Amino acid sequence: MSNAGSNVTFSIDLPKDRVPVPPADAEIVPTACDYCIVGCAYRAITWPVGKEGGPKASENAFKVDYPRTESLVGSWPSPNQHTIVLKNGEPHNCIVTPAISERVNRSGNHSVRGGGIAQKCYSPWRATRDRLQTPLLRVRNVLQPISWDDATTIAAEVGRYVFDKYGEMAYGVKAYSYQFYENTYAITKLALQSIETPVYAHHDKPSAQDDASGLEDMGIDTFGPSYDDWSASDVIFISGTDPYETKTVLFTEHIMEGRPKLVMVLPRKSPGVTWAEENDGLWLQVNVGTDAILHNAMCRYIIEKGWQDQHHIDHWAASSEEIDWGMGRGTRNTPWQWRSTRWGTNFKKWTKWLLKEKYAEMDVAVKMTGIPRENIINACKMLTGAGKKKRPKASFMLEKGNYWSNNYLNTISFGNLAIICGAGTRDGQVIGRAGGHQRGGVNAAGYPRSKTPERFGKIGRKALNVDNWVRSGHVRFMYVIGTNWIEAMQGSQDLGDYIKDHTTGSKHQVQKFDVEHVIQTLKARADAGDMVLINNEIYLRTIGNQYADLVMPAATWGEETFTRAQGERQLRIYSKFYDPPGDAKPDWWIIQQIAKKMGFDGYDWKTSEDVFKELARFTRNSRQDLAPLVKWAALNGKSPYDVLRKRAATGYQLPLRLHDNKLIETKRLHNPHVHIESGQGITVKLKRAGSFTKPSGKLILHKVDWNLFGDFYEAIKPKPEKKELWVTCGRNNEIWQSVFDDMRKPYIMQRHPMNFIEMNPKDAADRGIGNGDLVALENDEVFVQVGGFYRARHKDFLFTNLKKDGYIKTTQGSASAMVYVTSVVPPGTTFMYFNWPGGGASNSLSSAVADPLTNAPRYKLGKAAIRKIGTLPDYLKKRMTFKEKV
Amino acid sequence: MSKIENEKQEVDATQEESPLETPCMSRRKLLMTGGKMGGVAAISMLLPGTMFPGKAAAGQGMVSAAVAARTVRYPRTKVGKLSALKTDRPVKIQYPGNAEGQKGLLIKLGEKAMGGVGPKQDVVAFSAFCTHQGGPLEDQYNPKEKSLGPCEFHLSKFDLQKHGIMITASAVQNLPQIVLEVEGDDIYAVGVLGLIYGYQDNLQGV
Repeated sequence: MSNAGSNVTFSIDLPKDRVPVPPADAEIVPTACDYCIVGCAYRAITWPVGKEGGPKASENAFKVDYPRTESLVGSWPSPNQHTIVLKNGEPHNCIVTPAISERVNRSGNHSVRGGGIAQKCYSPWRATRDRLQTPLLRVRNVLQPISWDDATTIAAEVGRYVFDKYGEMAYGVKAYSYQFYENTYAITKLALQSIETPVYAHHDKPSAQDDASGLEDMGIDTFGPSYDDWSASDVIFISGTDPYETKTVLFTEHIMEGRPKLVMVLPRKSPGVTWAEENDGLWLQVNVGTDAILHNAMCRYIIEKGWQDQHHIDHWAASSEEIDWGMGRGTRNTPWQWRSTRWGTNFKKWTKWLLKEKYAEMDVAVKMTGIPRENIINACKMLTGAGKKKRPKASFMLEKGNYWSNNYLNTISFGNLAIICGAGTRDGQVIGRAGGHQRGGVNAAGYPRSKTPERFGKIGRKALNVDNWVRSGHVRFMYVIGTNWIEAMQGSQDLGDYIKDHTTGSKHQVQKFDVEHVIQTLKARADAGDMVLINNEIYLRTIGNQYADLVMPAATWGEETFTRAQGERQLRIYSKFYDPPGDAKPDWWIIQQIAKKMGFDGYDWKTSEDVFKELARFTRNSRQDLAPLVKWAALNGKSPYDVLRKRAATGYQLPLRLHDNKLIETKRLHNPHVHIESGQGITVKLKRAGSFTKPSGKLILHKVDWNLFGDFYEAIKPKPEKKELWVTCGRNNEIWQSVFDDMRKPYIMQRHPMNFIEMNPKDAADRGIGNGDLVALENDEVFVQVGGFYRARHKDFLFTNLKKDGYIKTTQGSASAMVYVTSVVPPGTTFMYFNWPGGGASNSLSSAVADPLTNAPRYKLGKAAIRKIGTLPDYLKKRMTFKEKV
Repeated sequence: MSKIENEKQEVDATQEESPLETPCMSRRKLLMTGGKMGGVAAISMLLPGTMFPGKAAAGQGMVSAAVAARTVRYPRTKVGKLSALKTDRPVKIQYPGNAEGQKGLLIKLGEKAMGGVGPKQDVVAFSAFCTHQGGPLEDQYNPKEKSLGPCEFHLSKFDLQKHGIMITASAVQNLPQIVLEVEGDDIYAVGVLGLIYGYQDNLQGV
């Protein structure tokens, strides 16, 4: 199944009517799910093929009697939780099944993604057999195996040459931000500490910037809440995500248990919305991209009615003087400083602005958001109690539907609403992200923002837009680690064209295996202004398959021991329980070999745990401070990994403190009642544990200037004369990230054999399209910003002026998909899965013009003309379901 | 088993854990073709080995044995009469055994279904327990959708016209479909596709 560029993976699950149970002596290794932010606790159980346990408790490793028909007790492996792996080179049965955790998945609960995670494991007998096993070198445009020594020598020699001759601005790194602390630490040690390049961005965005930028500017740590806070809320305003679909156990366990009323803001209906409506909640069906106006109108209505939490505002909203704290007389050039200087304001001035703001008027909001007036007013009442003596506990949760359509304005306006409704510091009254993937990033050094040419106006620094920098021709060596760079970014096809033209399209191509020849050829490539591309991956994906000069096989989850935290900051261990495929190595090891050969010091680790011990101090003074754990282990003569293994299912809630030889966890950040002990060496008195993050410790209200976005929004709207529709995108319950595992799971692929597009029955009928039909999606106006890193005046960053000044080129985007005809989307709006590789890439339909205030992407704002090009094969279509989830 | 049948099957031995049962041609053919044999309609879920990517290696003949096992091992139990069924009125049945966990629902959907029997191929039967965490589904039939769910525990929902595939689910297995045969007016359960919640083997205790 080496369909790296394919949009299609047809398969059907073969039902099984029995599952082998592990014998009593099977090895049980604690781990946690590799997928979504919730990070449920799991157990991996392995035993040699040929043995089997029995149905009696004494005969099996679960120590339970089968059949085990009581509900909600865990310990029933379904057949898709079983696979065959290699362990010590021999075939072993392997069952990966949820554990019973005290905190996260308390009854062995799991999502459809994690539940089938056993099928992720490399198995020579299953569809995962195409895992990468050896380093590959592109010789005469064919990827062929070479040794680790040759691969890392080539990567180091050519990389060093580019770095020495052209400087760090020519050496780019594009890497996942989360695939375990040990690896992200090694990656950032190379990129940010040794090479010190600002040409560095994470898997999910073109720049190294905050996701919910506005909230960070206001002083909010977006992973401050605990899961109990969501349960304890009376009402939750949920913007741009359905937690049922995307962090399922947070929803099916913590939210459903607490039964808060949900106000869900989404353009499309999904199962969480149905649950909300059936449980006294409300769905605000917002037009794509107009959230900021909704938030403004709600703020204004609440202020006009006097329903705001004035006590909370008086106590926590920063005054003008407090906003200036920490900025001194300096240049105010870090992102939050220049943005808050310009738009941050005290409550009085903010109110004055709000009451005059056109884009906060109810009539304007009703027209632009498409939400009926009474629904907006009802939402205000639910969140505030409408002046009743007892204010409901309101919390505020957001995700990518919010911050990846109109990043800065959506997040600051969302934050404003949360603050005036009294959220931020109290049990059940919190503000935060729901999260996507888990939190596995540790930076070995700060991002060198001062090196980038990116400015907003004269002083406002921003992280470099790597895609733009590449397209502008500045990068001669690119290291891509564990991400589908092309399809994951907007204007995908134009980015792909640039990469193709400057890698396999270069005239400097490797012709033979001789290492010296390879190095000289690739140096000549860089000298010619083209690009050398190397790639660490677990499978051949578009980047590796089509363009990379070197592909290096990575060992991942289950194949090496790693650590990471999840959505409420629980630190856990992800243990090795089987053999990585072939010669695959953890990314930290690959980076280490290359860094050493480049001549950099400090890469002397022998094990993952060595990396962990080193990275601990780089987590200090952050929400994921785990240094006290490593210190405590050292003081008590223990291995930190062993300490983590002992509490594998529960974990340690970060940040940690060390007091009287005891580790103390932090349940919620921004908790003014927290008492932090003093006088202990390793413990950091973390400001954000007790107050907000900015120097005053207060929250900063911000004005919201729609004009910063309005001209772009008008330019990218679907054009009725072309019969275009919005193509928005997002996650989906059944699929994880770029489908890399799921396309190898027949159970998942029988449900969605290729990327899908949900179309309203009216839009489908207008185009003669039915369920299961294949469609072409085309957008002939995909704008791509090239250059324009530095502009003297603020208004020069408006889309209109970037275009006028020649920094915007118009390109074309196309994708294909199969159709679900469904009324979950309104007429005029369609929805695709967000990160399908190859021809299914929804990001090829949206414009690569980042939010000028934050450099955040705007993935949700795609559009296309859609026409039928065929239909799925009948054998498949007749077995698929076209019924609505909701 | 004929030689030809044997050669057609190319499959991964490790995917199957029950290779010991004696293959039975008629049931096996029934499953593989989904066709009508002597007035009997049944499951057409299974596809030729080529549909499953990369099963080219090892284990010749294993799948046929295992597929056959799906019905061969099972009792043939009368579970109802066509004439007694009313559209959209599920009837509780027991199969393959009489334990609480082996409760199923026999439903005349009123619309054609994969694996459906009867003149309209609209009579199906499924396990009454969610394959996620064992939630009871017996009262969750949705006649409008011909679905079972949402499960009250975690909202899983299964399509009864499509072999119990998830519509939305936390479950990682289709809802097990009870294979039916019709003889005159009598409906017989003859096998189960998929593992019933909580069971290590569907025939435990039978």
